[in-house]
Amino acid sequence: MSVIAFVTGGTGFLGRRLLQTLLDRDIHVRCLARSQNSIDAALSELTPEQQRRLQFVRGDLADADTLEDHLQGVDVVYHLAAALNGSCSTMFLNTVVPSRGLMQAAARAEVGRFVHISSLGVYGTASLRRWGTLDETTPVDPQPEQRDPYTFSKIRQESIAWELREQLGLPLVVVRPGVIYGPGRSLLTSRVGLSLGPLLLRMGGGQRLPYTYVENCAEAICLAGLTPGMEGEIVNVVDDDLPTGCRILRMLRKNGKTVRSLWIPRAAISPLSALYARYSRWSEGQLPPVLSWHKSEAMWKPLRYSNRKAKHSLKWRPAISTEEGLNRTIAGLPGNFVS
Amino acid sequence: MIPASEKIRVAVLGCGQIADAHLSQIQRIKSAEVVAVCDMHLDLAWQAARRFQVPRFETGFTRMVEEARPDVVHLTTPAQTHAPLAIELLQAGCHVFVEKPFTLDARAARDVLAVAAANGKLVCVGHDQLYDPAWLTCKKWVLQGLIGEVRHIESILGYPIDGKFGAQVSGNPQHWVRRLPGGLFQNTISHPLYRITDLMNDVQPEIMGGWRTRPGMNFPTEMSISLQGRNQSGSLTFSTFLPPQRMTRVYGTTGMIDIDFDTQTLRLNPLTKLPGAFAKLEAPWRQVRNSLWNLGNNFWRFGRSDIHYFAGMKHLFQAFYDSIQHGGSPPIAPDEIERVTYLMDRIFDHCRKQELQTCRTEDTESIQFPGPKAEVSACL
Repeated sequence: MSVIAFVTGGTGFLGRRLLQTLLDRDIHVRCLARSQNSIDAALSELTPEQQRRLQFVRGDLADADTLEDHLQGVDVVYHLAAALNGSCSTMFLNTVVPSRGLMQAAARAEVGRFVHISSLGVYGTASLRRWGTLDETTPVDPQPEQRDPYTFSKIRQESIAWELREQLGLPLVVVRPGVIYGPGRSLLTSRVGLSLGPLLLRMGGGQRLPYTYVENCAEAICLAGLTPGMEGEIVNVVDDDLPTGCRILRMLRKNGKTVRSLWIPRAAISPLSALYARYSRWSEGQLPPVLSWHKSEAMWKPLRYSNRKAKHSLKWRPAISTEEGLNRTIAGLPGNFVS
Repeated sequence: MIPASEKIRVAVLGCGQIADAHLSQIQRIKSAEVVAVCDMHLDLAWQAARRFQVPRFETGFTRMVEEARPDVVHLTTPAQTHAPLAIELLQAGCHVFVEKPFTLDARAARDVLAVAAANGKLVCVGHDQLYDPAWLTCKKWVLQGLIGEVRHIESILGYPIDGKFGAQVSGNPQHWVRRLPGGLFQNTISHPLYRITDLMNDVQPEIMGGWRTRPGMNFPTEMSISLQGRNQSGSLTFSTFLPPQRMTRVYGTTGMIDIDFDTQTLRLNPLTKLPGAFAKLEAPWRQVRNSLWNLGNNFWRFGRSDIHYFAGMKHLFQAFYDSIQHGGSPPIAPDEIERVTYLMDRIFDHCRKQELQTCRTEDTESIQFPGPKAEVSACL
């Protein structure tokens, strides 16, 4: 009997690669999608043979009533759908609230496994020393409300998943990918620095960035749903040979891309962030509270990132090297100016 | 009345996007404290409580009122629920601050206001830009007679459909805004509209204009309305093609004032008294003076940390709480609430009729039916 997988967020950046990975393994995929445009875009990347094993179901993640019908007979749920931007309440409304409904429906439908895609950002780094190793044993940030809206919502979303595993026996596996990159996504994420108009405030530059190439990440997620005995486990996904901000900027410039940046030395990041937060509080939000000591430590503290568990438990190997991944991504960037 | 020595106990019902603005502005008011937040989604209530250090979060408002005993409840739920929830809260003994639009129609607005009066409670609506520092300065200049008598008010709202808010509405056919009787406009045009009515003497002016749907959308997205009073007029433009912007221009008998709410700048242009070519020199000189005044004013305000996007909201809340605490009348009078709600009803009715007539005209164009077409062009 072939495996049946149910995928949410399957028409997004990571989701489209996951569909290809699953379909390449002869898995039958049921994919929830909201709009016909996104379905057409996803189908255009698949061969007729792959399309034969793929069924799109039109619907909304927030519509919990119909979800249970779609989940009947499903072996593995891959839950990727999440809002990537917006205000905190919007993130919660579009990510956390529907995730709760989906997880409850999955538990009721007695799916074989529920793979929840969380984020490497959920960890709190206060317990780690500089250049310490972040792995699956590192605790989740105990002050999630002090983080950015995306991370706050991901921490809450994951805590609900664990809660429902306890209450309803949800067969949960949590994957925490690092920053996912690839053609079509900017390499200059907030891990490298902050945008200030056309300028990039480059935060440090020598620290390793927890990046994972989109195809490598999709492969790890696929394996998390299929590898026996993974229920109740957490797996971090980052590539080998992690890049630094300096390396990314060097590669971009070497390939003729212009990046206007202002370097903030590592030693100055946290004190400046704390100063900014103090002013933001004093001025009652005249400048928004986007920076704080807590946020800057979580984002730019120099750490090592382990992918040992993914390699050991899932027998995963990043097939695309970081050098190759960066080159492919840069080749896909439009124009010469990168901001 | 609440003793002046005690803080006003505030609760927020509905923890969506606009609730964030309410919570952050209430926290800036020394005489108020947020005692509870409530949302039908537990996770939304939880996140608001965590971020704004609110001691209690609930999923049922009856329980919230019983347990937290708020003096005032801010209603930041979808507009469809405003009237029934406001009535229940008023009957439960709370003063109510309702986010705009006040209710779905004027009839519901009258019901809410009647219940408030019957229970001796105050109601206010979120017409916060009337308390924005830039608008207050403009009003001061108008009252000082710097532009003579107000004759025309032009109000513009740019609302990109792929922006932070627009994308949510356009991307989700089930979004509550799409299900309002006046659609997208019902949730947005209050602001540009009350900026007109605030300076217009005619209670219910004549309405012209209409709405239309931009290509690629399946609901009306653009609106252009003209309001004609006895000796004053107003024009309201809502466009999803424009970047986000909130502008008003007030024309008087002896000059004009431009207000840009986003940059917090004002431009006062009295009519020139100099003859001929000298006037061409005076106008740019006035612009230089305006720019210098704005630069100095905004520097001064920045130094005092007095530049906030929702500054008007804070001042409106403060005024509402003061009226509760000291027994005055609410900052937005009940008559004004009813007036704006009824005017919105009339605008939507007018637009729907226009749309219907335009459709009929297009359908019958080939058979040269002059009646409706003539009527439409007369209306437009």
